Amino acid sequence: MILRQFLSLRKAGVLGMNRRNRQYIMGYNRRSSFPLVDDKLLTKQLSLKHGIPTPPLYHVVSHHGDIAGFEKALVDRQEFVLKPARGGGGSGIILITDRRDGKFVTQSGKMISRDEIRYHISDILSGIYSLEGLEDKAVIEGLIHPDQVFGKVTYEGVPDVRIIVYRGVPAMAMVRLPTRQSDGKANLHRGAVGVGIDIGRGKTMDGVRRSGAITHHPDTGELLRDIEVPFWERMLLMAARSTDMTGLGYLGVDLVIDIKDGPLLLELNARPGLQIQIANRKGLLERLETIDRAPKEIFLSPEKRIAWSIQNFAEPRS
Amino acid sequence: MKRPALWLAVFFFLIPLSLIGYRVLRLGYPLLPTSPVKAWGLTMEIFFEPAGGDGNRNGKEIEIRAGLPESRSGQTVIEQRDLSGTLQLNIMPEGLNQIGVWSGDPEGGGGLSYRTTVLLNPKRLRKPKPPGPESFPAIIGDKSEQILARRLIERYSSLKAPDKLKAIVATAKGIWGEPAPDDSDLKQWSSIQKKYGAEKALVILLRLADFPVRKVQGFVLSEGIATQPDRWIAVWTGQKWEHLQAETGDNYSESVCLLPLMIGDAPLVSISGGRLQEVRWSLSKQILSQWRSHFERIQRSARFLDRWSLFAIPNQFQEIFRILLLVPIGVLMISVLRNIVGFPTFGIFMPVLMALAFRSTGLSYGLGIFAGVVLIGYLLRRGIDRLRLLLVPRLSFLITFVILAFTVFALIGSKFGVREFMAVGLLPFVILSMTIERFFILIEESGAFQALRTAAGSAAVAVITYKIIQIDPLQLTFFVYPELLFAIMGLLLLLGNYSGYRLSEILRFEVLGEKS
Repeated sequence: MILRQFLSLRKAGVLGMNRRNRQYIMGYNRRSSFPLVDDKLLTKQLSLKHGIPTPPLYHVVSHHGDIAGFEKALVDRQEFVLKPARGGGGSGIILITDRRDGKFVTQSGKMISRDEIRYHISDILSGIYSLEGLEDKAVIEGLIHPDQVFGKVTYEGVPDVRIIVYRGVPAMAMVRLPTRQSDGKANLHRGAVGVGIDIGRGKTMDGVRRSGAITHHPDTGELLRDIEVPFWERMLLMAARSTDMTGLGYLGVDLVIDIKDGPLLLELNARPGLQIQIANRKGLLERLETIDRAPKEIFLSPEKRIAWSIQNFAEPRS
Repeated sequence: MKRPALWLAVFFFLIPLSLIGYRVLRLGYPLLPTSPVKAWGLTMEIFFEPAGGDGNRNGKEIEIRAGLPESRSGQTVIEQRDLSGTLQLNIMPEGLNQIGVWSGDPEGGGGLSYRTTVLLNPKRLRKPKPPGPESFPAIIGDKSEQILARRLIERYSSLKAPDKLKAIVATAKGIWGEPAPDDSDLKQWSSIQKKYGAEKALVILLRLADFPVRKVQGFVLSEGIATQPDRWIAVWTGQKWEHLQAETGDNYSESVCLLPLMIGDAPLVSISGGRLQEVRWSLSKQILSQWRSHFERIQRSARFLDRWSLFAIPNQFQEIFRILLLVPIGVLMISVLRNIVGFPTFGIFMPVLMALAFRSTGLSYGLGIFAGVVLIGYLLRRGIDRLRLLLVPRLSFLITFVILAFTVFALIGSKFGVREFMAVGLLPFVILSMTIERFFILIEESGAFQALRTAAGSAAVAVITYKIIQIDPLQLTFFVYPELLFAIMGLLLLLGNYSGYRLSEILRFEVLGEKS
């Protein structure tokens, strides 16, 4: 009975947690490369060096003594994002959209005093949001103005595109849409909606929220399917190049589309989740094994890899 | 599966296999833990009142003496447990007896309890020792009584010891044989019996016939379970001790085992510096695994592997190892439940520590206290959230709260006599504090549903682990064969190699599996 269920998952090419950890993360991601993706500041510097665009860096607070100076460094910027360099799962991030009467206005319209911002920075520095509870840095960077392509299926916040890249080949993609429940954050475990993207055409498919399949956004009620993702090939290329940049063979690449700057690399993840399979109604293992069978020459350049991926992972027309 | 891990696992399985094989084949260890062996559990509870009444005792010490069972021919004491609170127990041999002396200031408390397990092993009878001088109690009775008694038994003097004993016992009961003594002698004898009681009268006869005699208090271990100690008379017939029932002089039947506690005239339980109120006894028959009974043999053996056994270390340290050896079983369970079943838990090893703690609090109390502390802790954590405390002081604050909660539980427990509440101190407090913090963060980040799911997962894993480490034969098996730890390491190597699906993923990816 159980064995049959397992076989059916295997036949569907589903990637399980154990295999992901053992075969792919341990097999392709060297421990020494993890800091490159766990620390957003390092990722940003690396991206800069490799010409992959990221949101502009305004300021970094590294020590408690420097907290007071953050406002001076902001000059008169009205909007910015404050986030922990080593935060995980979207925690500790504050989006500021305006400044009024010496206070800061968050994206959800809440007023935050200067002192509260300082407290938050202090929290970040003492490692409250960091993955291992280690001391951390606070990163202040440019606010993203999301392209309105997902405007109708987003409740506040910034939707982001997650692409799983295996050995430099984009294997699966989804867009994560914030909901009221996820508090404007694009993290699936907070209740955001994940919608699969057809790698071949750059078009959305059906969605998933928590563990349930959905077809419409729970807050806006709009259809999730058939939204054409702009800059799709450029995004695939950015994702494919992230592997060359980090040396991580199994990687989750998170991108956002800014209305002005186009696609930007937001962060990288060395242990990307498995939920993307449900968003795509498709097993990831099958894709990974297909990539393993790909001809050697396609691995020579990122352009060849994405061309192969587009060709091989296009959804059959329904 | 990667080859090196497989070979390493095989190697790890071979170590215990060969060691256990050697122990079973060459040293005669039992292979299965299930073959039952008879043992008796004896519980003694003594209630007393310190002298001097309330208040003005001036810290006067109290001393209670009681005869305890000891390992002797055909019986082995395998466990002794003292629950006497403030009194200190010293066990010392005194003459033929093993005397437990509880002393100290009872601080108002008026009770103690002692439990022992005695293993009966009729096959391991040692050659009986001939009696020493303590077996010749002074002959009581006045001159005329002694003359009479001597006259009654005179005619058996030519018989051999066992027959002589039988004849004397018959005489004491009034079966005279031929020729019957004259009437005045009979009358005088029955008045002696009335005066001293049947037991003493019998002892008089036996002593005058030069039999070594011991008066014994103890328990008759038979199917009907006794709650009051018995008395009997042990008589040396030259080869062995015969046991006669004190009142009737009858022999005990063959199937009966006797558990002597006190030999001689001393009272079974005595007290100085106070007054005995009640002494309660209870006997219970227990089925023990054969491995446990191996204790005795292993302890005395000179064989290398026998000497290098955990049985060889002192008792109080054995206890620690009994618990330590459960940890690998626990972490094995965690590995299975997390990587094969897919339970979500707070922290990796939290459920193992919970399961170990449940051993002293019991399952329902343990879970209840755990849930209570986490819930109140969660509310507290919510309350202090806006204070924006730094990480380390905040966790320390929670730890202090947990200790405070333990204290309150213990005080409530002592007020209402709930022992489980007082055992709360054994719960892993650091883990509890971290659980509160993680619970809070999980509720904040992923909602109450996810947090409760994880809490339920943790509780389920803790309960399953608890149930498994509570299996006595399993505990014993690891204690007798600690080399099994290698086997656990081997299993963990195999588990660590498992790349298959988790049971929970059947549900998680149900949508994907159905399609094909």
